Amino acid sequence: MMRILRMMQTIDARYLYALLMLSVALPFFIPFQLPVVVTPETEALYDAVENLPANSFVLVGIDWNAGSRGENRPQTTVILRHLMARHLRFALLDFSDPQGATLGEEIAHELQGQYGYQEGRDWVNFGYQVDMVNWLKSFVLNVPGQVQTDSSGKPVASLPVMQGIRTARNIPLVIDITPTGSYQTYIQFMAGPYRNSMKMGVALTAVMAPDAYNYLDSHQIVGLLAGLTGAAEYQSRFAQEYDKGLLLRSRVTRYSNSSSSAHILIICLILMGNIAMILERRQRARLHAKG
Amino acid sequence: MLMPKHGFSWFAFSAGALLLSGILLALMQLIPVSARRYVIRFLTFLAGLYYVLEFFLPVHSMPTKNDPHAVGNFLTPFLLPIGNYSPVIIAFTIGLGVVNLFQVHSRRLIRRDSETLFSVAFFVSFFAMLIIGLLDKAHPNSINKNLYHLLFDGFLQSLDATVFSIIAFYIVSAAYRAFRVKSIEATLLLVTAMIVMLGQIPVGTFLTHTLPEPFHVEVIRGWILRQANSAALRAIAFGLSIGGLAISLRIWLGLERGSYFEES
Repeated sequence: MMRILRMMQTIDARYLYALLMLSVALPFFIPFQLPVVVTPETEALYDAVENLPANSFVLVGIDWNAGSRGENRPQTTVILRHLMARHLRFALLDFSDPQGATLGEEIAHELQGQYGYQEGRDWVNFGYQVDMVNWLKSFVLNVPGQVQTDSSGKPVASLPVMQGIRTARNIPLVIDITPTGSYQTYIQFMAGPYRNSMKMGVALTAVMAPDAYNYLDSHQIVGLLAGLTGAAEYQSRFAQEYDKGLLLRSRVTRYSNSSSSAHILIICLILMGNIAMILERRQRARLHAKG
Repeated sequence: MLMPKHGFSWFAFSAGALLLSGILLALMQLIPVSARRYVIRFLTFLAGLYYVLEFFLPVHSMPTKNDPHAVGNFLTPFLLPIGNYSPVIIAFTIGLGVVNLFQVHSRRLIRRDSETLFSVAFFVSFFAMLIIGLLDKAHPNSINKNLYHLLFDGFLQSLDATVFSIIAFYIVSAAYRAFRVKSIEATLLLVTAMIVMLGQIPVGTFLTHTLPEPFHVEVIRGWILRQANSAALRAIAFGLSIGGLAISLRIWLGLERGSYFEES
């Protein structure tokens, strides 16, 4: 008995790795649908997009790279899908990693056909920019002056998507999708000074989300997507209104199931280790009492 | 001079700026280290002073072509051109980083020790990405585009995602071994972590959806994150910000030990 209890507390790491691999991979082959409860912070971000007048301009920060693709890509997909479904214009902007601009553009290209969107007319990629603070300080005062060309070198000022966008006052919503604290710089230099005309939302990896609750409480951000679950919640909300079949087709659902099963594995392993430890302690105490 | 240049004047200004930078760099090498320190301190102070004054000086209505409601002071119109200096400076620092990497890896290649293979990998990947990247920009034909796609999406992004995802394996192993109810504090941490983890996934919601609403795991998770967690993080953020402000002031005023070629 003692041997089994000890074994339950000291499983070889290689078995744990194998279990994790299985728990992440299996949901991709065995599709199932779990109920999704939309949290208030996700609902608030959804409403912020939903309540924008048609043809409004949204700035989307793609401040992530392939490392956090598992969480930030589904978030970007669901947000861009919603912007396109609502016929809103948007610009992609990246400060954190050169990969971000390319990754965001890929997603926009993937989705644009479904919603009749066209690059340059309905959306634009401002590309990768360095020195976020100084760049934003100039950007808020003179958008076409600061972003002279898009990521493919076309002059931005002449693009139809940029019609009427002169300063930050013409941008009613900024959404930063990131595994870093880049959204804080947006708050400091853009959403904060222009709070009368601009709202800000963020989509973060689950590990970064706890930091953002302060900004949510102080109303410096209107909504928040926390990790893959946030993306699944947003998608579920979007599907209710726009596309009921999306949940069955979407990869976000499978990603979310995979993440859920990995979480369950971790919880089960922790519980097993603790139960075994408590039982072993009791067993030892009993043996000790018997002498 | 502070306005964007195009065509021939862009080339002329770029060449002139490079020449001037080279001359200034050479001059800096000629003067003693102690004097060099003062020059750098003065320039750092001047650069910081612009932003401090622009931020703190009183503002008044300053309508522009773009924004009839704009406010600012006499320094505000220079934000854009002065902001353009920083990408240039950052580009130089990237150049310095590349020079440094070349020095380190060249030495390793010459030594031919057990780590030489890593240096070979560095040079091969550096030049492959550089050459293909430049070719893709200069001649964006299908061959160059596909090659760039192969390197950037096929190699770089996949490697990045793989390296990052390895963390998950360590997290599982570490969580299994570390989360043990050995003390009251450890038990509190464990229970909190379990609730937040369960509240983060649809399964947790499913398990508690029959209970009254205040006992739903996502509601408890929300309370933990918005109340307990926010208070602690706000305190940390205040501390960090005050520390950051102090360090920034010390660097700006040249008081930070270890900066500007001093012994730390």
